[in-house]
Amino acid sequence: MLGVAATWTLAVFLEKTFFALDAMAVNAVTQTATGKDGTILVVLQLAGGNDGLNTVVPYADDAYHRARPRLALPDEQILTIDHHVGLNPKLAGLKSLYEEGHLAIVQGVGYPNPNRSHFRSTEIWQTASDADRNETHGWLGRYFDNCCSGTDPTIGVAIGEEMPQAFAAKNPTGITFSRPEQFRWRASASNTGHMSTEEIFFRQLNGFDEENTPAATDGASIGTLPGTSKSDLSTLDFLQRTALDAQLSSDKILAIARKYKSTVPYPQGRLAASLNIIARMIAGGLTTRVYYASHGGFDTHAGQFNTHGRLMTELNDTIAAFVADLKQQGNFERVLLITFSEFGRRVAENANGGTDHGTAASMFVLGGRVKPGLFGEHPSLTDLDHGDLKFNTDFRSVYGTVLDSWLNTPSQIVLGRKFPSLAIL
Amino acid sequence: MNMLAQLPASLWNDETAAHLLNRARFGATPAEIESARKKGLVPMVRELVDVRADAGNVPPPAWAKPRNIRAARMALKAAKERGENFRETARQFRMMEGDEILDLRRWWLERMMNSPAPLLEKMTLFWHGHFATSVQKVKDGYWMWLQNDTLRRNALGNFATLVKAISRDPAMMIYLDLQQNREARPNENWARELMELFTVGIGNYTEDDIRAAARAFTGYRIDMTTQQFRFARMEQDLGTKKFMGHTGPLNGDNVIDILVRQPACSRFIGRKLWRFFVEDEPSQEIVDAIASRIRAHNFEMRPVLREIFSSAEFYSDRAMGTQIKSPVQYIVQTSKLLETQLASPIVVQNAMRQMGQILFAPPNVKGWDGGKAWITTSTLLFRYNFANYLISGDAMLPAGQAARAKPQDAGFRRSVQRRQLAAQIKRDPIDVSKFVPDQLRDKPRQLVDLLSGRFFRTRLAEKETNTFVQFLESRKPDTSDATMRELVHLMMSTPQFQLA
Repeated sequence: MLGVAATWTLAVFLEKTFFALDAMAVNAVTQTATGKDGTILVVLQLAGGNDGLNTVVPYADDAYHRARPRLALPDEQILTIDHHVGLNPKLAGLKSLYEEGHLAIVQGVGYPNPNRSHFRSTEIWQTASDADRNETHGWLGRYFDNCCSGTDPTIGVAIGEEMPQAFAAKNPTGITFSRPEQFRWRASASNTGHMSTEEIFFRQLNGFDEENTPAATDGASIGTLPGTSKSDLSTLDFLQRTALDAQLSSDKILAIARKYKSTVPYPQGRLAASLNIIARMIAGGLTTRVYYASHGGFDTHAGQFNTHGRLMTELNDTIAAFVADLKQQGNFERVLLITFSEFGRRVAENANGGTDHGTAASMFVLGGRVKPGLFGEHPSLTDLDHGDLKFNTDFRSVYGTVLDSWLNTPSQIVLGRKFPSLAIL
Repeated sequence: MNMLAQLPASLWNDETAAHLLNRARFGATPAEIESARKKGLVPMVRELVDVRADAGNVPPPAWAKPRNIRAARMALKAAKERGENFRETARQFRMMEGDEILDLRRWWLERMMNSPAPLLEKMTLFWHGHFATSVQKVKDGYWMWLQNDTLRRNALGNFATLVKAISRDPAMMIYLDLQQNREARPNENWARELMELFTVGIGNYTEDDIRAAARAFTGYRIDMTTQQFRFARMEQDLGTKKFMGHTGPLNGDNVIDILVRQPACSRFIGRKLWRFFVEDEPSQEIVDAIASRIRAHNFEMRPVLREIFSSAEFYSDRAMGTQIKSPVQYIVQTSKLLETQLASPIVVQNAMRQMGQILFAPPNVKGWDGGKAWITTSTLLFRYNFANYLISGDAMLPAGQAARAKPQDAGFRRSVQRRQLAAQIKRDPIDVSKFVPDQLRDKPRQLVDLLSGRFFRTRLAEKETNTFVQFLESRKPDTSDATMRELVHLMMSTPQFQLA
């Protein structure tokens, strides 16, 4: 054991840290699966049940206007897509993306035996299970387990306080944080700017030491040790690996957050803040394949008109800023963003100017390499199931297509079986 | 080899005593460990397991009373139909529910900290993970408390009795749609999970068994005026059913009795018990051994637990110090080890969320995966930082976080909420003198040895010990409380501290 002074001087520490970052950066280039140039999926959850009919609007259908005397959007304001459907007037940015050929709209997405409980239906979408089966792990977690075990610890990043069930996995690898600044170890004394001695010792205890520096084990992240997946390790080894991964990931994410700021203006609000963080992580070359963000407030049982309009504006402006940011970075071609909500809403409005829980709705799929267009039929507004739309595209067809054609992973391994693929990619 | 033989008395020492108190309770201080060692293995196990018969008779939180839900719903519906603005009423209702479940979490965690019968709470937690039910679907604090009470009253009793009680538990009935199950419109959710997750496990039943069981569990309803279980005799399907080789006009209790008699059931429960209390990956031999004991004891949990906690296998190297603390264990045990109180309810609830185990809101009907699944880079860093908060109080938060309430930038209600939140986040640093003796403050190695005995159940490598010593050396001559707190935080900011 070296003397105290030699092990914890700031200079030594900094050298190690930067060496670690360099080692990771070099490593990243050689990892084709998760490397800097790999494709990236961004999943955007609209929590609460977004009103699909007032998002992608079947304006030409009389039944739409009949069912929604107070909530139907005026025909003349609709951003028409074709002679039957158009976008909510607030979605001008998405309309532009559609015209530029960067937006696919998948209509009538749902699943058999729809459940109208937020909790249960969210769980079904997150785990991609059948409605009558309970599945523990998320579809993205199963993707991490099956396709990326032993890869970079930053493979999946969720913006928020709680890991989404979609990330739940046998060997959970997803990182969760609301702000990058939170994803770090905090010393007892509030010290701003420079390293405390406590932190230097903390790093020794968590993997940054002589025998186990990133240099000594060639990157040290679990991914770089051939044949080792976390499930094979003893519990203490597993914890030590994770502690080292946490350090490496935290350093990298904080370095990116400090270095990369967007010059594109984003709107106010949490959704924009989340997508802004994601854009900065992409700009900084974080080797993440799946980002996840969630936006709430869509459970519009009463007084929906203004609330939903506001939500649409926020969604539109945020996506527009995010796309502009990615284009400026030169990364738009690498990114695919999909939106989903646990269900759409009832066709008929209720007595309180709102809508109750429904079933099928549209999904947006957008990105630089998307095949644009309107996919699937819009469900009939008169041939209903207990007042709700009948789905015609299983949401797992969208997942499957994304897995097969964007993440280059056999979808049946993740989804348990093959769903018909869509021509969106 | 004779499985589940009693641990030789010569191996009963501080380490084995600490192990027992970690697993059968929520950890212990060095003084409690010493006291357990002095009592001896058999008396200590008896004290844990053979709690008084009325120990499960625990006074509920003051608000936990049944309501007339039918009347409340009808009033809301009528207001809705009249087109009145019911949002304020609905919002208040939701807030009340949120307050109740927050308080229920506090109430249970305090029981885990302070109950005279801690094994009862640990077993209640085991059954909560087994019969996982979430308030996110049940949406009622009273029902969640009622289920918790049912689990506690039966926690150390007979398994078949417990399953029957759970089949009549309103929270479970809502969670798995049992109250919607009708002869004409069967809902098989409960019937399927009863077999797959609660008794025999997947592969030990057929789809026909599920259909037959769903028919047997007809007539199970909830009285919405009293929030209690109600058996609707008229709705019961009295027809002949074929279930696992039995034929007759079987009812729900008959189905449960048949399931519990399956050999698969004792193995399923035995394996789960062993995983919860002993080790992540039990061998087939130990599962078979524990299953045969479960059958021999006719599914009475008390004698089974007595055997587990007395067995040499329970104290083997495979088991000692190898279990990753669950977030709930982490919260309770850390507070104990620091000789301090639980953090405020809102802070603890948030901590449970970020660590991945919110009481009364398991992620799904399968409960929590546990083991390595507790730990990701995010949850590990959170544990380290939460330890810091418990030790240093709100001083560790980024400057101004607690005092961020700005009345001008939000409505009045928001600003009140923020001030309340700031008050809830406020926390003083711990009093380190409770476990750091003054005379050892300037003796780094002795101090580190003493504190390692308190905070770690695995023997530390020389490397870690030396790092702690070096830290104290680097601070010399500073031996202030602040430095002692930093040392404790460093000890908790380690992989080793996550193990119990």
